Amino acid sequence: MTEPERFDIAIVGGGPAGQAAAIALEGHGLSIAVIDEQIRPGGQILRQPPAAFTVANWLADRSYAPLKRQLDRFGQLKEVRWLGGHSAVGLQAGSIVATGPDGLRNIAADRILIAAGCQDLAVPLPGWTLPGVYAAGGIQAFVKSQQLLAGTRVLLAGTHPLQLIIAAQIVAAGGTVAAVLFAQPRAHMIAALAAQPLTALGRASDLFAAGTAMATLARAGAPIRFGVGLSALTGRDRVSGAVTSAGNVECDAVGLCYGFVPQSALPRMAGARMTAAGPAGGWACVHDDWMRTSVPGLYAAGETVGVAGAAAAAAGGELAGLGIALDLGLLDADTAQRAAQNSRRRFARHRAFASLLDAAADPRPFFPAPDSGTIVCRCEDVEFGPLSERVSAGGSANAVKLATRCGMGACQGRNCEPTLLRMISAAGGCDDVGFTARFPARAVSIADLLSSD
Amino acid sequence: MSATRITRGVNRGGPIAITVDGIRIECFAGETVAAAMLAADHAVFRADTRGQRRGMFCNMGVCSECLVTLIAGGPHVRACLVEARDGMEVATRD
Repeated sequence: MTEPERFDIAIVGGGPAGQAAAIALEGHGLSIAVIDEQIRPGGQILRQPPAAFTVANWLADRSYAPLKRQLDRFGQLKEVRWLGGHSAVGLQAGSIVATGPDGLRNIAADRILIAAGCQDLAVPLPGWTLPGVYAAGGIQAFVKSQQLLAGTRVLLAGTHPLQLIIAAQIVAAGGTVAAVLFAQPRAHMIAALAAQPLTALGRASDLFAAGTAMATLARAGAPIRFGVGLSALTGRDRVSGAVTSAGNVECDAVGLCYGFVPQSALPRMAGARMTAAGPAGGWACVHDDWMRTSVPGLYAAGETVGVAGAAAAAAGGELAGLGIALDLGLLDADTAQRAAQNSRRRFARHRAFASLLDAAADPRPFFPAPDSGTIVCRCEDVEFGPLSERVSAGGSANAVKLATRCGMGACQGRNCEPTLLRMISAAGGCDDVGFTARFPARAVSIADLLSSD
Repeated sequence: MSATRITRGVNRGGPIAITVDGIRIECFAGETVAAAMLAADHAVFRADTRGQRRGMFCNMGVCSECLVTLIAGGPHVRACLVEARDGMEVATRD
């Protein structure tokens, strides 16, 4: 491995949390590396078009305005070395291994913030491996960034309200939405939000955005249905339809939208204490009031500490930045506490709303049923039937992985782990750690590893 | 053709071309290899062990379903993260 490049602080993730932390650390003369898999900063919420594009009215909806202002400010920071197009594949306290266009690089920093974001929960059902079936977030990213409609007739299905926003963005871009299907009854969602009316009203802008999206879809004639579950996706070489509890739907692209799980490979690899993330599954990084993890020198913010949306991520990122400044002796305790007051209030408020949303979007009673031939582990083509048999024999996720290859492929179990853990739990087993996180967190070519020693 | 480019209010980079499994695909500078492929109706990235056609899934670098080989750059490249360059030769696992 080449000599490490040294920075005072390294941040994994250039989304709202990573940006907010870097901004909070401005003015102290620190060197800050920000590593992100996307070429341009913004995270998934502000997934930017390529630099070669100009897009009039990009994410013009008012709800994106504060995030866009933060992005502009981040872009002006002099202390930041932007490492876009890089994947952090290895992490321990004090050091990160990243891959990029020029192979592997070793980044040393005494303080590391993981703000790695989340991913769509992968939900296996018959036909979900057909070309044209996507994670709903993938379809949205195509619209935001590549200015591409994933199909001429897009079906969105799941339990998460984000699918309304995605559908409305497709319609606004000139696309056609076949339907938006919520597996849960409408009353179920309303009851979840009504359980804490003040918290819900505290995020009135989100409720308003959902309402606006519903109006947009109604004008476009795109049906929104509640209490309609998916049974199968059909097609020969690509998806051409869906079988649902309310009949068949024709479509040439499908976005599955059952929720989001933190990207947790890096903190798990570093040995940070984790906790069950929420009803959609996955693992959230445990942290204190200053976003310190259980590993000295390692901090976490954004969806890495639990999926709660961009506003919570930004507030948490500010706290992490202030916490790092405090720990480096750049701020005294009183100054840091005063500076953090506003961020703490926002962090708590947005997280409270996120837990309401979790309850409203809870996918657990509404998952589609796989059949025995349904692929659960996409990388290794492990089918539900054989997997189920092995799970019923008992054992941990790691034991099932060894016996079946589930989770052993290029994605390292990102897609199948939540499903496998649900299966283990349903079979009466208990697995409180999931797969052991191993280097590298993303597939790396052997050539990169060889050329770097 | 299923995937389509949004044109209203969008100016893309200059026209370029790549080849995917030897077939020429016209696209635009700045587009990811994945976007260029989908817009050219090349939604199949591989065949699985049962011989079934498989597409990409997450479009954010996580799922590894869009791995392609760049003839000049090597295997295991996530098509959703890499920008197409004029003359780039891409091979799928199909």
